[in-house]
Amino acid sequence: MADDKDVLRDVWFGRIPACFTLSPDEITEREAEPYYLLLPRVSYLTLVTDKVKKHFLKVMKAEDVEEIWFEYEGSPLKWHFPTGMLFDLHASNTALPWNITVHFKNFPEHELLHCASNSVIEAHFMSCIKEADALKHKSQVINDMQKKDHKQLWMGLQNDKFDQFWAMNRKLMEYPTEEGGFRYIPFRIYQTMSERPFIQKLFRPVSPEGNQLTLGDLLKELFPAAICVEDEPKRYQVIIHGIEPLLETPIQWLSEHLSHPDNFLHISIIPAPSD
Amino acid sequence: MATAGAGPLIGPGARKERPFRWMAGERPSASCYLDERTFRLCCQLFLQHSVTIQDGWSWEEIKVADEGFMRKTVLIPVRSDTSHHQDVCSVHTGNTESLTEELQADVEDEAAGVQSVCESPVVLRYEYHVVYSSSYQIPVLYFRVSTLDGRSLSLEEVWSNVHPNYRQRLRQEPWDTLTQQEHPLLGQPFFMLHPCRTEEFMKPALDLAQTQHKRLNYIVTWLSVVGPVVGLDVPLSYITAVSAPD
Repeated sequence: MADDKDVLRDVWFGRIPACFTLSPDEITEREAEPYYLLLPRVSYLTLVTDKVKKHFLKVMKAEDVEEIWFEYEGSPLKWHFPTGMLFDLHASNTALPWNITVHFKNFPEHELLHCASNSVIEAHFMSCIKEADALKHKSQVINDMQKKDHKQLWMGLQNDKFDQFWAMNRKLMEYPTEEGGFRYIPFRIYQTMSERPFIQKLFRPVSPEGNQLTLGDLLKELFPAAICVEDEPKRYQVIIHGIEPLLETPIQWLSEHLSHPDNFLHISIIPAPSD
Repeated sequence: MATAGAGPLIGPGARKERPFRWMAGERPSASCYLDERTFRLCCQLFLQHSVTIQDGWSWEEIKVADEGFMRKTVLIPVRSDTSHHQDVCSVHTGNTESLTEELQADVEDEAAGVQSVCESPVVLRYEYHVVYSSSYQIPVLYFRVSTLDGRSLSLEEVWSNVHPNYRQRLRQEPWDTLTQQEHPLLGQPFFMLHPCRTEEFMKPALDLAQTQHKRLNYIVTWLSVVGPVVGLDVPLSYITAVSAPD
């Protein structure tokens, strides 16, 4: 059970300094100044950028404004992934602030999901939590909660209320002591080099012999190239919440402490810097 | 048998009281779940029959991942009274709540064939994907819709194309049933029929099959229930010709 509250707080309050710039393709009535914002790592881009939108709308005509979307160095940013994971995947090892380009036109229909309102984000968030609980507890914990409990999880995230969120989320982090962990670990592995959005497989936190499995064990099975071979230069970085956890870390501990509010462990694998 | 399973999907249920319930029952029984190997085997048998009747299903393999999905594209003509795209795909327009009686009457006409009443048919391209969900251990239906010149339809437009019989029921909590989601293998936006109620209609069908000692093909039964909601027909011959894998 999650008891290391300091870690949970550090994860929850993680921020990324970002600079939003309007795309030069947009038509404005006067020059648009960039907008600076500290982005919560565990939230969603479209949930925390109302101010960014308002800022740019001030210099634009209503008829030139369609659905807002964000881009980093040519890649549309998928709002339905947690912001911290997007940064880890696309912008680790670059200078801060994170430079994000804002668009109000030419929505990339074939790459991004529409996000017309916060209810779309809420539905997406709840569907992730439900999927995670299907893996962890055969959906029993989420199904035993009431609608107001689900609302509490969402409101906690939306309003950045750590205590409100965790008062409910701790129930999703419980497991029978004798089993030593969840049924399966909800995780996704992302890589920039692949067309495929992520790798997600069934993975148990404990081996049939009863040993705690580690992050290294998970990678060995699903992304062996990420494991360093002795005497060879490191090829990949394995990043969760901006850090490279030790490969010896038990995957169950990571799942309880470093999961995003959607209850998934989002793991980014990026090529190691060559210098 | 498979169509009988459609009852719970549109009939009155406990939905209002427990709108966020994921699975209908208490502890789900194992029989409703499908492991990945059985999924593939069911699909193989399904595809064999598809070749025989030439209705266009194929298997798409994701090479790097050793995963795959079943795919079919169909062109569906829909009625159009005007060239404006909002109306292109409307079988009915206007407030469905207030049209209840009219809809009931229309349903029989619709059953006789939507196409036959088209005055100036517009053709839409429906692409259906049957994808395995390892989290839920069930198949999930993904689809996308575009016009022949490549414009993707929005969720609203797709909703207006759902058969009125289903639409009325599903409309009440749209986010729970039909949403835009990322295709887990392609990374592109698709619409998805939520798997949350799969057990609700699969369990009675599977239980009945068991008591009658019939060997139902999971994919056939499941697809014949969820497919028609979004315009996908599963010919009756699948029910008789395709059985469960050995």
